[in-house]
Amino acid sequence: MKISYRRRILIFLLSVFCLSVLVFAMSRLAPGDPLVSYYGDRAERMSPEEKDRAMERLGLNESMVVQYVKWVKNAVSGDFGMSFKYKQDVMKVIEGRLVNTLILGGVGFILTFLLALLLGILCAFHENSWLDRIICKVGTITSCIPEFWLSLVLILIFSVNLRLLPGSGAYALGQSSSISSRLTHLILPMVVVVMSHLWYYAYMIRNKLLEEIRQDYVLLAKAKGMSRRRIMYQHCVRNIMPAFISIMAISLPHIVEGTYIVEMVFSYPGIGTLSFESAKYHDYNMLMVLCLITGIVVIFGNITGQAISEAIDPRMKEPEIMEVAADGSR
Amino acid sequence: MNKQYALEINNLSVSFFTADGETEAVRDVSLSLRQGEVLALVGESGCGKSVFCKAIMGLLSKDARIKSGEILKDDRDIRTLSEREMQLLRGSGISMIFQDPLTSLNPTMTIGRQIAEAVKLHNRELNRQQIKAKVLELLELVGIPDAESRYDSYPYHFSGGMRQRCVMAIALAADPQILIADEPTTALDVTIQAEILNLLKEIQKKRNMSILFVTHDLGVVAKIADRVAVMYAGKIVEYGMAEEIFYDARHPYTWGLLSALPYYARAKGELQAIPGFPPHLTPPPKGDAFAVRNPYAMEIDYEEMPPFFPVSETHFAATWLLDEHAPEVVSPFREISKRRCGA
Repeated sequence: MKISYRRRILIFLLSVFCLSVLVFAMSRLAPGDPLVSYYGDRAERMSPEEKDRAMERLGLNESMVVQYVKWVKNAVSGDFGMSFKYKQDVMKVIEGRLVNTLILGGVGFILTFLLALLLGILCAFHENSWLDRIICKVGTITSCIPEFWLSLVLILIFSVNLRLLPGSGAYALGQSSSISSRLTHLILPMVVVVMSHLWYYAYMIRNKLLEEIRQDYVLLAKAKGMSRRRIMYQHCVRNIMPAFISIMAISLPHIVEGTYIVEMVFSYPGIGTLSFESAKYHDYNMLMVLCLITGIVVIFGNITGQAISEAIDPRMKEPEIMEVAADGSR
Repeated sequence: MNKQYALEINNLSVSFFTADGETEAVRDVSLSLRQGEVLALVGESGCGKSVFCKAIMGLLSKDARIKSGEILKDDRDIRTLSEREMQLLRGSGISMIFQDPLTSLNPTMTIGRQIAEAVKLHNRELNRQQIKAKVLELLELVGIPDAESRYDSYPYHFSGGMRQRCVMAIALAADPQILIADEPTTALDVTIQAEILNLLKEIQKKRNMSILFVTHDLGVVAKIADRVAVMYAGKIVEYGMAEEIFYDARHPYTWGLLSALPYYARAKGELQAIPGFPPHLTPPPKGDAFAVRNPYAMEIDYEEMPPFFPVSETHFAATWLLDEHAPEVVSPFREISKRRCGA
């Protein structure tokens, strides 16, 4: 079924709205004191009157509905409020960290799928050979290792024992613009992000390709004299592309989530650590924005995934079929 | 080697090696395809016809292996060819079309591109326009009207019969001397079947091609074949000119197949079926594999495999009934055949 672009945008906006309501309500209903995040230890020594005044100043004394409407009003005009913890405009705080996450998550995402595709093709091409078997076994093992544990082990080996690579942060102190410093800091987290997701997708691609190889058209392609390699690339890989891209889009949340966990363990100054902090310290405005960004990425991923696979697979284009059918009857 | 043969297969045996043991799918088959003839290979499902074809094309799956025998084309055993040489041979020397036209085309690629691919593989010197011209020519050859506008159509735009024509266009793209047609009309309905058969025959005459036509349908065989070979349980049991097989069959299995034809059944009053099932070939039974289903079976059939007995210069049958010690058995078709021949 083809969905019009207008309808897609509507679905997108509706999803974002629902998400914002949910996050807003949940964060405020969760037990804990938001004042602690703003005033720190001082909040505990405040008298009830002082606390009331502080709540009023932060705009937290009103009913949740009123708060939400106010938040939406400000958000639409571009003001997402102030971070309680950093006492700074939320967007300012995020700005500095977004790039770090984009580098880790974005490159990790692309690298994961590029390697998954190559590995999947390699395994499918050499189906049941020793190479395929070894890759399958090793892959299954690596995909079962939890990210946080793998991170810790890698830190232990490469930064604590061998002292080869840094185990935390995104760059050495004062070297935020040094590419080599950023790269060395990126290696371990990137390895974890890629390793923990790679096989899951590579295996999917391998099996999709094996299904494809067993199709009759492959036999005909062989009968007309094509080599296995050409059939693989020009027919089979091409035919699994829609599925591949759908998988990519659907898996966006998994990789995002993986990135967040990895950021936590490596104290990588990205959105993941920030999200964790903001949830922990009831930094409402910060949490809202971060959840929305993450949510938008995920929803956007799903919607574009569908749009792209429709564009690639000719069978999904309904109007064209009608056109040709009309042509044929002429 | 005799020049009149386009393809000569001697003592070919193919086995599948599976967890259950060795399955002898093709057993010691010798068969020759003459230049410019249509040879029909007939047998019921699972008798090894398709495996035989795939063995010739070098397209056996990994668990299958040619155990012995030779496949001679132009004085060369194609079993000794490298994979690269095999690829050159496929399509240009020997081409093949398959049973199900609905699945044998890549659904996401236009018909034109799929045929062009085959043309390009064997005519590297052609440029884009020349390739397209050749594709259009092929589409016209296989009787697809309005070829120009069909070039960019996808397989799902076509009906089954049209798709089989496209598959034929692909198979004929590099002017093969030999075409192996593995049940090309089985998946089509009867009227389309006749069209495709006529087309195949017409192209075969036009290009003086040799066709190995595999089918389980003797009605189809009658329409197209010059010679017929009957296969049972991985072995050829009888072969001869089409008339000899239809009017003077000697093997009880061929009789069984013929009596399942409505034409002959009319004379007998009811449609006959061969009782029982084909044997398992893991391992094959001792003696004649057909013995257990054969009403004319003798003791020796259970003990020893019958050799080929000549019936005429072109007609051979592997049944002990033709041995000089065997009792006289009259073919159940003698009468009908005589009547038919006299008429």
